[in-house]
Amino acid sequence: MAQLNLAPTKTNLIRLKNDLNFARQGYELLDQKRNILIIELMSLIDQAADHQSRLEDALAKAYHALEEAALDMGRLKVQYLTGAVHIKTDITVRARRVMGISLPVIETEFEEHAPYFSPLGTSFWIDSSLYFFKEALKLLGKTSELKISIMRLANEVKKTIRKVNALEKIAIPDLQETLHYIQSRLEENERDMFVLMKMVKVNLEKKKAKNPGE
Amino acid sequence: MKYAIIGDEDTVLGFGIVGVSGKVAHNTDEAHSAFQTLLEDKETAVIIITERIADMIRPLVNTYLFTVGFPLIVEIPDRHGTKADRPGIKEMVHGAIGIKL
Repeated sequence: MAQLNLAPTKTNLIRLKNDLNFARQGYELLDQKRNILIIELMSLIDQAADHQSRLEDALAKAYHALEEAALDMGRLKVQYLTGAVHIKTDITVRARRVMGISLPVIETEFEEHAPYFSPLGTSFWIDSSLYFFKEALKLLGKTSELKISIMRLANEVKKTIRKVNALEKIAIPDLQETLHYIQSRLEENERDMFVLMKMVKVNLEKKKAKNPGE
Repeated sequence: MKYAIIGDEDTVLGFGIVGVSGKVAHNTDEAHSAFQTLLEDKETAVIIITERIADMIRPLVNTYLFTVGFPLIVEIPDRHGTKADRPGIKEMVHGAIGIKL
């Protein structure tokens, strides 16, 4: 802990008191911010884990369906069919704000005009892989949104923790110590002055007693 | 805004069905150039990348994942399933930022 290098004067004392108050207020606010961020982060992490497992499920199903389709009709034909399918995916990225940090919100929309191919001669698996890949894509948008939100929030939490610690462990103790030092110096001065005044008074009285009538 | 994918043939084919355009990559160089092309397209909002490919260009992916933040990047398991030692989201946060949750 380091004491600030300030002259022990009344002005500095008042200024330091204000500073200390300010630092304490800031500390309280940042502490609240940290807690809010951590709560938000926790809920996002739970959601992300949930989405991740759902995504993996959906993908596994989708891959399986695609594989079946390829086995049924041959890869080349599946490839031709994908050329026929015309689904437009559109995502809108909006921003959501939590404690001044902007987090993305992703919405996925599909624009489709089924049917794309004759049901004759196409495998049932094509339809199901279409369906499952669409599901997976929806989940993907959400998962990526959650992941990036978590990263940003965690970064902010780290910054906030650093600030809170700096205030709690360095700025506030320093201010307190300096304040204490200045206060005691001022008091000491006061006592000095008091004693000095007393001595002057005693001296004056002695002088008066020596030569009365002057 | 749209999705884009980098992966092996099957993944790209599968996502191609639902209208996601993608690039096939087999090795690091291909992955690099695919990634760069996708970055240049300003319409790309989310890059889907398979874990195997992502591992090939891990530093590049991580910069976009952790520091740049746009386009969003999401890693998916490919046809062969998830790798066993893949870190969970908590470990990822811990590794990248150093706060334990």
